[in-house]
Amino acid sequence: MAGQIVATLLRVGIGGLFIFAGVVKIWDFDTGGSATQAFALEIQNYQLTTWTASIVAAIYLPWLEVLAGLALVFRRLYTGALVMLLALDAVFIAALSSAWARGLDISCGCFGRSDIQVNYPEKIGQNVLLLALLGLLLWLECRKSRHASRLD
Amino acid sequence: MIARGLREAALLAALALVPALVSGAVQLQWKPSKTAATRMEWRKEEPLQEGEVRMATVQMWGDKVLWVDARSRQKYEAEHAPDAVLLNEDVWETQVAEFLNEWEPEYAVVIYCDGATCDASHAVRKRLTEELQITNVYVLKGGWAAWQGR
Repeated sequence: MAGQIVATLLRVGIGGLFIFAGVVKIWDFDTGGSATQAFALEIQNYQLTTWTASIVAAIYLPWLEVLAGLALVFRRLYTGALVMLLALDAVFIAALSSAWARGLDISCGCFGRSDIQVNYPEKIGQNVLLLALLGLLLWLECRKSRHASRLD
Repeated sequence: MIARGLREAALLAALALVPALVSGAVQLQWKPSKTAATRMEWRKEEPLQEGEVRMATVQMWGDKVLWVDARSRQKYEAEHAPDAVLLNEDVWETQVAEFLNEWEPEYAVVIYCDGATCDASHAVRKRLTEELQITNVYVLKGGWAAWQGR
């Protein structure tokens, strides 16, 4: 029972985090306008993509985060949302590590526009923790699915 | 289970395309109008932020440019633009005299650092304009990579 409550809190908490992260990349509440351009610049700072690819990613990724977050919260397409968020987080950790290895001075763009320079060890640590929590939720879902199929 | 996860993930990715395409269409394909002109401007080329300048523009200025390298001393010593002066927040106190020694009022000061919009260049520009009252100070769009690819 306690385990179920913890899993639900984790699911809703992580889902909410991704919804928030996606929304602030779509809409800049400070300026009251689109945040796409600012997010494209944040992506460009990693020096891994062309400007066109950065714009495409800046338009698409926030919606993917919002939808996957909603899927976690409402438990629809749940396994797919976990797989997608695991993949997104892994790619983000790889991009952060790459920028760190190249000694780039950037802001991470995790939650929309930011002027604060990224603290690489801290940010990578946070995302590894998030990756582990998503992995835990996926493992619990797999276990539940195996248990259900055994009962069938 | 894995197959289901991948199938659902693909479905989510496809679903996200719908609002993304609408959003992209609104932001990038708007019919030309007074406000749309501004919106369309940035789809062609990465836009300039306040105080930034492109490499092509700097090249038109010829020799009347004083380059400032706002990266770390280690990177500066490894390679830098010819005659560039090292100046960043960490070495400000020790390097500002060298900068002033090289600076002439007719020079445009162009600062570069690592990232496309990296903070170090903007921080140095802020101090040069506010503390030393130098007006023609710019941050190179694209930073060191833009200088290398000139």
